[in-house]
Amino acid sequence: MGNILLKNIENPNSAELCEYRKSGGYAGLQKALGMEPKAIIDEVKKAGLRGRGGAGFPVAMKWTFASADPKFPKYLLCNADEGEPGTFKDRPILEKNPHILIEGMTISGYALGAEYGYIYLRGEYPAAKDILNKAIKQAYEDNLLGDNILGKGVKFHLAVHQGAGAYICGEETALIESLEGDKGQPRIKPPFPVNVGAFAKPTVVNNVETLSNLPYIMEIGGEAYAKIGSPDCPGPKIYCISGHVARPGVYELPMGTPLREIIETHCGGIKGGGRLKAVIPGGISTPVLPPDKIDCPMDFVNMPKHGSMLGSGAVIVMDDTVCMVKVCHRALKFFEHESCGKCTPCREGTGWLRSILGRIEQGEGNEGDIDLLLSVAGNMIGKTFCPLGDGAASVVQNFIKHFRPEFEEHVRLKACPVGK
Amino acid sequence: MITITINGKEIKLEKAMTVLEAARSAGIKIPTLCYHEQLEKYGGCRLCLVEVEKMPRLQTSCTLMVTDGMVVRTETEAIADVRRGILEFLLINHPLDCPYCDKAGECELQDLVEKYGPTTSRFREKKRKVTENLQDPVIVRNMERCVMCTRCTRMCEGVQGASAIAVISRGGHSHIEPFSGNRYDCEYCGNCVSVCPVGAIMSRLHRHSYRPWQVKENIETTCPYCGVGCTLVAQVRDDVIKRVVPKIGSPVNNGMLCSRGRFGYEFVGHKERLTVPLIKKAGVFEEATWEEAIGLVAKRLGEARDKHGSGAIAGIASPRCTNEDNYVFQKFMRVTLGTNNIDSTARMGYAGAQAFIENIFGQGATGNIISGLSNSDTVLVIGGDPTTVNPILGLQIRACSRRGGTILTVGHVPGLQHFTPMELKPGRRQETLLLECVVTALVSRKGLPGSNQRLEEKIKVVNADIATVAGQCGLHEKEMTDFIDSLAGAGTPAVVIGKELVQACNSGYRLFLACAISYLINGRIYLLCDHANEQGVLDMGCAPDLLPGYRPLSYAEFRKRYETAWKTTLPEKNGLNIFDMIAAAGSGALKAMYVMGENPVFNLPDSKTTVAALQKLEFLVVQDIFMTETARLADVVLPALSWGEKYGTFTNMERRIQRVRKTVGREGMEDWRIVAEISKHMSVRMHYADSGSVFEEITKVSPLHRDLTYDEIAEGATIYPYKGEPLRGATEEIRTDRGMTCPEGGLFLGIDRPLFHSGTLSRMSPALGKICPDAVLRINPETAATLLVADGDIVRVSTATGSLELPAVLDKHADRSVVLVSNIFEGRGVLGLMAAALDPVLGSPVLDTIPATVERVGKAKV
Amino acid sequence: MITFSQTTIKEIEEIRRKYPTSRAALLPALYVAQREFGWLSPEAYTAVSDLLGVPEAIARGVGTFYAMYRNKPLGRHVVQLCTNVSCMILGAERLVDFLKNKYGLEPGGTTADGRFSLVIMECIGACGTAPAMLVNDDFYENLTEKYIDEILEKYR
Ligand SMILES: Cc1cc2nc3c(=O)[nH]c(=O)nc-3n(C[C@H](O)[C@H](O)[C@H](O)COP(=O)(O)O)c2cc1C
Ligand code: SF4
Ligand code: FES
Repeated sequence: MGNILLKNIENPNSAELCEYRKSGGYAGLQKALGMEPKAIIDEVKKAGLRGRGGAGFPVAMKWTFASADPKFPKYLLCNADEGEPGTFKDRPILEKNPHILIEGMTISGYALGAEYGYIYLRGEYPAAKDILNKAIKQAYEDNLLGDNILGKGVKFHLAVHQGAGAYICGEETALIESLEGDKGQPRIKPPFPVNVGAFAKPTVVNNVETLSNLPYIMEIGGEAYAKIGSPDCPGPKIYCISGHVARPGVYELPMGTPLREIIETHCGGIKGGGRLKAVIPGGISTPVLPPDKIDCPMDFVNMPKHGSMLGSGAVIVMDDTVCMVKVCHRALKFFEHESCGKCTPCREGTGWLRSILGRIEQGEGNEGDIDLLLSVAGNMIGKTFCPLGDGAASVVQNFIKHFRPEFEEHVRLKACPVGK
Repeated sequence: MITITINGKEIKLEKAMTVLEAARSAGIKIPTLCYHEQLEKYGGCRLCLVEVEKMPRLQTSCTLMVTDGMVVRTETEAIADVRRGILEFLLINHPLDCPYCDKAGECELQDLVEKYGPTTSRFREKKRKVTENLQDPVIVRNMERCVMCTRCTRMCEGVQGASAIAVISRGGHSHIEPFSGNRYDCEYCGNCVSVCPVGAIMSRLHRHSYRPWQVKENIETTCPYCGVGCTLVAQVRDDVIKRVVPKIGSPVNNGMLCSRGRFGYEFVGHKERLTVPLIKKAGVFEEATWEEAIGLVAKRLGEARDKHGSGAIAGIASPRCTNEDNYVFQKFMRVTLGTNNIDSTARMGYAGAQAFIENIFGQGATGNIISGLSNSDTVLVIGGDPTTVNPILGLQIRACSRRGGTILTVGHVPGLQHFTPMELKPGRRQETLLLECVVTALVSRKGLPGSNQRLEEKIKVVNADIATVAGQCGLHEKEMTDFIDSLAGAGTPAVVIGKELVQACNSGYRLFLACAISYLINGRIYLLCDHANEQGVLDMGCAPDLLPGYRPLSYAEFRKRYETAWKTTLPEKNGLNIFDMIAAAGSGALKAMYVMGENPVFNLPDSKTTVAALQKLEFLVVQDIFMTETARLADVVLPALSWGEKYGTFTNMERRIQRVRKTVGREGMEDWRIVAEISKHMSVRMHYADSGSVFEEITKVSPLHRDLTYDEIAEGATIYPYKGEPLRGATEEIRTDRGMTCPEGGLFLGIDRPLFHSGTLSRMSPALGKICPDAVLRINPETAATLLVADGDIVRVSTATGSLELPAVLDKHADRSVVLVSNIFEGRGVLGLMAAALDPVLGSPVLDTIPATVERVGKAKV
Repeated sequence: MITFSQTTIKEIEEIRRKYPTSRAALLPALYVAQREFGWLSPEAYTAVSDLLGVPEAIARGVGTFYAMYRNKPLGRHVVQLCTNVSCMILGAERLVDFLKNKYGLEPGGTTADGRFSLVIMECIGACGTAPAMLVNDDFYENLTEKYIDEILEKYR
């Protein structure tokens, strides 16, 4: 499988419309505009496309709900808030291949009956903002966006909305709040965004990578697409690998590529010949795996069977110089910082967990602190408003599950044993 | 029909609701903290989690809607554990200062911890510390007690609509700010105080002065301030009102209050209250016995009547007194003294405007239900800011906007600025023209409905086209057509009319145009109403042309009826109105006056003239609760019991009759009792055991109030037309004279109507005084710049009648051609500077044509 | 009182047109205010509030929720160093110490000459080229002490 989503990214001008067109860009849109919207959704259904934002929700199902809602206008929001630590898979699309996203969104907008789209771009990607804005401008000039796209009487308007530094805005209802000019705090569901979303109208939120699959699905058809990668969740997938591997970076591979293959084959194994100690396979919120658990196909269906999740496909590889308490502590610092403050267990619990971890790491932990961690995490899990708080608690649970002796040693030695 | 099972109990529900509501309806308690029935659902605290069969996670019952067949458990061991865990989280940063905290005893957190909570804390780190904040004049904040339920911010933004506070920062650093410490948009309604479940936000007025369980009585009464008539609950201990709280479910204000209602009760126990009768001897007041004072008043009034005739005596009644007080007072004037010279300050606009509107549409046309405003699809506001004059009514307009309704304003309405109103802002002087244009355009768009020929005759004459008017008003044609289109397309519109229209030049004609607009779009009219019993004072017949029951005196058959009831003969001719009275006193035609609960020197235009007139009287008796500017001129001052010390009824602007109840005791007499005593001394016996027996007489003589009882009124549903007959068909010609023309150019004096005060009563409430301590001159920054006036500079504002020196406040909301001063503070009332003509149609003073000059006399203090 | 320049007002009005409500323009308007006034001072909030008709407290609540709005004045150049897990395990903490020792830059602090401020970031999406930072709007990846010296040299 060659690059589909990251096609041409070695070309320094890949973000230019003319370059994109040269390699067949916007043919998918041309084709789509000749189809009935319903037929596009059917094609996506046949393709078996699942959302790449983390949850793996079937795209066609979400679209069907939104397009069935009688309210107008409808909105299509692209989730470009990529904030899950370890994740940098959307950035190359945004910076190097923006037109594939614009094309994908226009196709989706047409399929859904959405006339307005926003790209919710994380604030930490200022360069992408300029690139996207330029690409959108080009698309308008070439009549690929606007009131009468390609002369087919189809209307779709697109704008970039820049976030301002809040991980929680990756959660779709928080994203909508933020788009509407509010704090990014998740909303009560139901009603779901497909019925009552942005500006109280039917709204679809899809990830950058998800939407970028559309041109290709249009091009080769759903059935052919469904043959790529895992049968249960097909398609190309961008994996992003960071940490102690020889060749970190983004890799576009078929969905379901085994984690071991990614680390050892594609990334050239552990850097400097060190020993693998732990892998976080799908971004910091997904359960950490010890070295003996990495023989798992990286997709939405198989990862849970192997004790973790695909998440955003952000693989963080750690060698044996890394202290697990320290990583866990740093992760909780992140969750504390990013907790939106809406619900009690997350607002109070993340800080409490962080401070217990902090004192263990500092060598000031007590006997009983590890159980206290588990108890506090237990009081959070399943009780928070949104998955962020669950994620925070499960990070603690999973680190202790796989590396409890290391935690205990910190308490016993009143110091960090790693590397000593 | 939805059937669900909670804790094994089957519950049948008529309509969809949340699991929490369903449980409550079946008497099953689920603990909550962030939930509040007045607020939007939130689901943040997580205390109300319950188990629901077939659902994988625990669910927040406050957000989950019931579905048929749902099986819910609310009190399992596992759930109790969850709640304990949540409470532990809440307590890690909560100070355990219950012994010191005023909330103890009614603290929701305390109660929850007592029931579910952990007994020890496993939290070893330092708690968050926030010191007590007393920056705010009426609210004390202890934000370290805050549990981040956001009830206060949801109240402030989502219900009150002030949006003065917000959650600042995020996560564990979240805190609520800034309240009025920074004076953003705080309206001091204190509704955040009502909903705070813990001791984080509390009223300062009763700080550390009692414990909730020491409240002896919760007395439900009606607010003494404005014409909305909110239900208040006064909490009393040791014969002192400790706190005033609203009541959820009360028909007018449903759990909401404004600053005046909540914090304005302290006048009742004010140390400057009049306590003994005073008789002026050689220019100096001396304390007297009741015997003496009453005897003297009876004697002097009797003498005046006998010597100069009944027509030489006049009485001023009070929109702050109860129906019972006013009824007895007018009866005294009519029966005992034999004159129809009775009126009140309702003549300043409300009375004339209401009469005008009723002459067009029939009696009761302005008596529309306040809560209905929020269900309108369109609200047109003309003539002022409803959110300051009648704050709780203002909330309904905000709610209308929130529900997607369209708010249209003629002129700028600061209190609605965040509710995306469509505004048309003609210069103040072009408003008449603009209204003409709207009427013309509506006729051409919608045609004439044909149901009111008298009105249509007049409407047909109106003619002003958009293009011309847009030019003259300096407006864009597009904004005018959008505005008119919205009006024309309205389905359930309401028209809210304020004082600024009723007290403007051409006010009668403008009111006609407003009525025409309302007629053409089939709207309901709301006439803003300053005082708690402004409607009641008219209903009771405290007007020179009305008998009790709002019955015109000019109809012989009505007069007959009252003559029979009162066993007397009534003078046939209408009496003097309040302005005539001052004129007659000034000319010497009037010899004696009895003023009950009113301060005409301060509350009528042109105080110099009023003072001179009253000084000319041979005898002036003033009955009041404080020594007012008017009382100082009196020969006899009679101290009355106040609102908080007596029973009776008020009638609000909806014409809802509501109970006023005694909250605290004080020696003395109600206004009606004093009047009855005087009458007795004049050999006309008025025999009433209590206010109830006065009311009983009212229900016998007034056809409007026929057969009502206090018990029925207590239900809160006694809204016009009650059980009696409204008056129909008594119509006169609709007058469309324009009155005086609006002068061009220059600077004019206008009335500032701050939210925090209401007439002179509120100035005796220290808390309101702290919020808004003194008069200022509000001036548009651009106007100020041309006069070289900076914010805070001391300026002298002068009119033909006099001048005042005040600090200037630059206010971007003020019209460029007007400077505004309030009419609240002693020695600094704006009305005193206004020698006003009367509108020929409404009879109300024209107050927007008073030229003023402003000059800087001192620099701002830094 | 501070006010927006006429061109900025135009810019915000243009942004406003991209959305169905003026409230939705709040986040971008706060960015513009931050650019124009350097930080979100109380006056900046007032200006935004006036321009969009959004209550001031609401604007402030929103402006303090997001990490990228500056609610206090910062130095001329803002060094935004990521220390999240991927960067941490590749030495970001050492770089924090380096900035402290060599430049006197404490996390959250500003150099005495007002040239730099240091903001510790959560993940900035450069994990594959960690450790990484942004200086103002520019990305720098694969950082070393020496590289940081070179980079900072460019910002005066
Ligand atoms: C705390 C949290 C953070 C999230 N962050 C992101 C994100 O950064 N990018 C993303 O695309 N989806 C994120 N999601 C998932 C979104 O809520 C949503 O499921 C996704 O945007 C849907 O798009 P998809 O169906 O194309 O995956 C996050 C969810 C949660 C609960
Ligand atoms: S002043 Fe008016 S609005 Fe305020 S509480 Fe009293 S009656 Fe209600
Ligand atoms: S009461 Fe339901 S979550 Fe707070």
